[in-house]
Amino acid sequence: MRRCDLLLAVFVLVALVHLAVNLRSVQVDGAAEYAYDGTRQSVRRVQTAGIRGRLLARDGSPLAENRVSVSIVCDAALLRGRSYARTADAIEDSIANLAELLGREVPLDRTRIDRHLQRQIAVPMTVWRDVSEDDIARFAENCGRFPGFSLQSTFERRYPSGAVSGHLTGYVGHSRGDAEEGDQKFYSYSPEMIGREGLEAYYDGYLRGVSGEDRVLVDSLGYSVRRWTAVKPQTGPDLVLTIDPKIQLAAMRELSGRKGACVVMDPRNGEVLAMVSSPSYDPNICVPSLDHEVYERMRDDPRLPLLNRAVGGSYAPGSTFKPITAVAGLSIGYPENERYFCDGVFRLGELRLHCSRKWGHAAIDLRQAIMSSCNSFFCNLGTDIGTNQLISTAKAFGLGSKTGIDFPIDAAGAVPDGEWKRRMYHEQWYQGDLAQMSIGQGMLLVSPLQMARVAGALGTGYLVTPHFRYGATAERTTLPFSRRYLRIVQEGMRMVVSGDGHRRGTGWRAGEGVGVSVSGKTGTAEVGKGETRRKNTWFIAFAPSESPSVALAIVVENGESGGATSAPKAANILKECFR
Amino acid sequence: MKRFLRNFDWLGFAAMLLLIVVGTLTIYSAGHARSQIFHGMWINNLSTAVFGIVLYFLLAWFDYRRYLPLLALPAYFVSLVCLVLVLVFGAEVLGGRRWLWFFQPSEVAKLSVLVMLSVLFGSDALAEIRKSPWLNGFRGFAVAVLLSGIPALLILAEPDLGTTLALVPAVAIVVFAIGVWRRGLVTLAAIAGMAALAILGAVYEAEKPSASADRRERIMKYVPLKPHQVKRVKTFLFPDSDPLGAGHNLRQSKIAIGSGGMTGKGFGKGEQNHLKYLPPAVSMNDFIFCVYAEETGFRGSLVLLTLFGVLLFTGCLAASRATDRSGRLLALGVTTLVLAHVYINIGMSIGLLPITGLPLPFISSGRTFLLTVILGFGLVQSVSVHRQPLI
Repeated sequence: MRRCDLLLAVFVLVALVHLAVNLRSVQVDGAAEYAYDGTRQSVRRVQTAGIRGRLLARDGSPLAENRVSVSIVCDAALLRGRSYARTADAIEDSIANLAELLGREVPLDRTRIDRHLQRQIAVPMTVWRDVSEDDIARFAENCGRFPGFSLQSTFERRYPSGAVSGHLTGYVGHSRGDAEEGDQKFYSYSPEMIGREGLEAYYDGYLRGVSGEDRVLVDSLGYSVRRWTAVKPQTGPDLVLTIDPKIQLAAMRELSGRKGACVVMDPRNGEVLAMVSSPSYDPNICVPSLDHEVYERMRDDPRLPLLNRAVGGSYAPGSTFKPITAVAGLSIGYPENERYFCDGVFRLGELRLHCSRKWGHAAIDLRQAIMSSCNSFFCNLGTDIGTNQLISTAKAFGLGSKTGIDFPIDAAGAVPDGEWKRRMYHEQWYQGDLAQMSIGQGMLLVSPLQMARVAGALGTGYLVTPHFRYGATAERTTLPFSRRYLRIVQEGMRMVVSGDGHRRGTGWRAGEGVGVSVSGKTGTAEVGKGETRRKNTWFIAFAPSESPSVALAIVVENGESGGATSAPKAANILKECFR
Repeated sequence: MKRFLRNFDWLGFAAMLLLIVVGTLTIYSAGHARSQIFHGMWINNLSTAVFGIVLYFLLAWFDYRRYLPLLALPAYFVSLVCLVLVLVFGAEVLGGRRWLWFFQPSEVAKLSVLVMLSVLFGSDALAEIRKSPWLNGFRGFAVAVLLSGIPALLILAEPDLGTTLALVPAVAIVVFAIGVWRRGLVTLAAIAGMAALAILGAVYEAEKPSASADRRERIMKYVPLKPHQVKRVKTFLFPDSDPLGAGHNLRQSKIAIGSGGMTGKGFGKGEQNHLKYLPPAVSMNDFIFCVYAEETGFRGSLVLLTLFGVLLFTGCLAASRATDRSGRLLALGVTTLVLAHVYINIGMSIGLLPITGLPLPFISSGRTFLLTVILGFGLVQSVSVHRQPLI
């Protein structure tokens, strides 16, 4: 009989040891794996948005900053009912009551609530976004009556100068789901803003903060139990720009109501002081997201407010190209004092090109030709120079290629040659094309930024890479022309504004009230034919004439003439520069 | 009194007390993961335990050889009547009629069956009757099987497969110890074991991923299991086949136990329990071991197994020291019953066995069962106290 007792004792031992061995494999060997499984089902990863760095003008005033935006949010965990439907009922009731209290409309319907409970139950649901201070106060007084509801602040981008620097700053928009990493996706993404246009887009990687990560412990039904921060979000660095807000504002004022663009830069180091394209848009309407209707209206607007004319516009330079022709002429040995007799018409075979003055300029030399913008003189000079020489000079001034500016848009424009014309028009390159090109007509295309750079190079003798980032070192390329030739052209350009003692130059209005001596060149480019024929009026300038610290290019579409329309605007902008 | 103090099995009693304390704490933790009404569940448990311990001392103080023959028959019949009544009037909970008013007759019936068998086949008071051929040889075996089979079938009809299964080894070891038709018993045990393996194999063949629906139907025709039982066996064989459906409980149970690691998450800090990943409906009863193991870790598991080991070994000891056969049979039966509960319950929690609803003695919250096991060990204590003094 003792055998049975012993047998049972052995059974007890075997059974308990068997359990212990198996428990060991689960609790010791499998601990990490089961702990991971447990965490996987009970912990949600929530991405929190990093804070974007600001864009500052050179004087430190913000062009793009972050303001605090307060939202009223609702946490389902505190309103949970016996079922998801009951929870949704409770949320719906509370929202209705709160809407009544705040005197607002109920912002979301039942399907939105249901969807939130299905997908995002562990994180608060935004009920009212960006509420006013009145609403915040009213909610705070009564928040005891609304369990589960709370205020949540986020950062929203703001552009204090609005449309004045709309094209410059660009705007930001939501990005989604770009941060999947590791073996576990994020459960919820806080809307991280990414730059969509302008400097916001170009310097996106620089400005963007580093996303943080919150963890939410959820129960088996998905309701949040506890939330903690695993990785703090980081603020991106501020970016100081070379922009001078006063000049920017002045340029915008000059162009408001017109179509056109203006670029002001420092020709010595490439700092862009102002960049304006008109009409502009207010980037604030694009935050947090651009309304589709508004976007379509802007897109279909015939005035093209979304086009950044300053860097993306392609215009014929018109007579502002003449200084380049002059430099090319001098460098092939055209004598500076050689006079040419202008009778008002330049004839080349069948081609007739009329001069700006109907009855001609009579006998003029190169400086006077620049001053008076004589078409005949430069057509004649151009045919002497030859296509290749003229093209290489234009290219030496940076035309036909990107400027290398730190901006998403950087139109190269076009410097046509025989090859180009054959490709585009299936036509041969004629001497007439050369004549047209030497006065900036024909198929030449430039952007205002390129022309501001050209103006600066004419004043300083070297070409700089323009840039917006303050403190960036600019690349300088010395022009491959003799200083003497440049000085002759500079004298001509100075006469455009100051005259030669007997007559006024075409751009005389550009010097009025500036306080320093201004050198420049007017331009009136005719575009279109017949009905659509109109004039784009240019003025390019550098000042002070002796040692330029400002270079400017302005173009106004449908103007009267460079001298009448653009030169006075340039004067007003330059006045701001030298105040 | 002197003998009582000398012979009283203090070690077994201490182990039982500690198990009751552990159980009360675990129920406290499990209850706080549920709604308000379950927060006080540990008090119910503790009061039942206190009441049980009073009865424990009464049973231990008096000589079982005197009172057991008087109690056995009435207790057995009252149990049978209750088992019939529960099938008629019982409240239906979770697909079974197990509750008669405030208690589960099946738990009491298990103990009364063991008492009945020990008294009938072991009591000295019935020495004359036992010479009858009806209590010897094959006929004796048949009587023993019938006496335990009737309540077992009634329990199975509730249905409560787990409780029935736990009774089988206890009855088997008692019948083996009685010694009637031992060869047959061993044969039967072998046949039962093979049948279980056959069912397991059949379900495996039918449910393995490559099996066609047609083949499944053909095999399942011969498997005498209900659909929910097939599902449990399937989960046992293929734990990962349906992690959100049938496998959910097992998966959550293993996560709870496994994530406890070596040292556990601390009392009241079990996330699987408190975040309700462990289904709250079963966390206080059949799956309470998960709550315990998650919060105390492998160390806690070992402590618990050690406590059970001590208690069960003192049971074996009481059996081997018993003065008469009834005492030995009783101690063997009660010890085996509790061992079966412990092994099946913990084994199913970690996937060693298919899931069956079965409480863990002293730890699960179930007042009838708690009282039953305390009384069972009260009887064992009585066997221990009233043993022949060792010389």
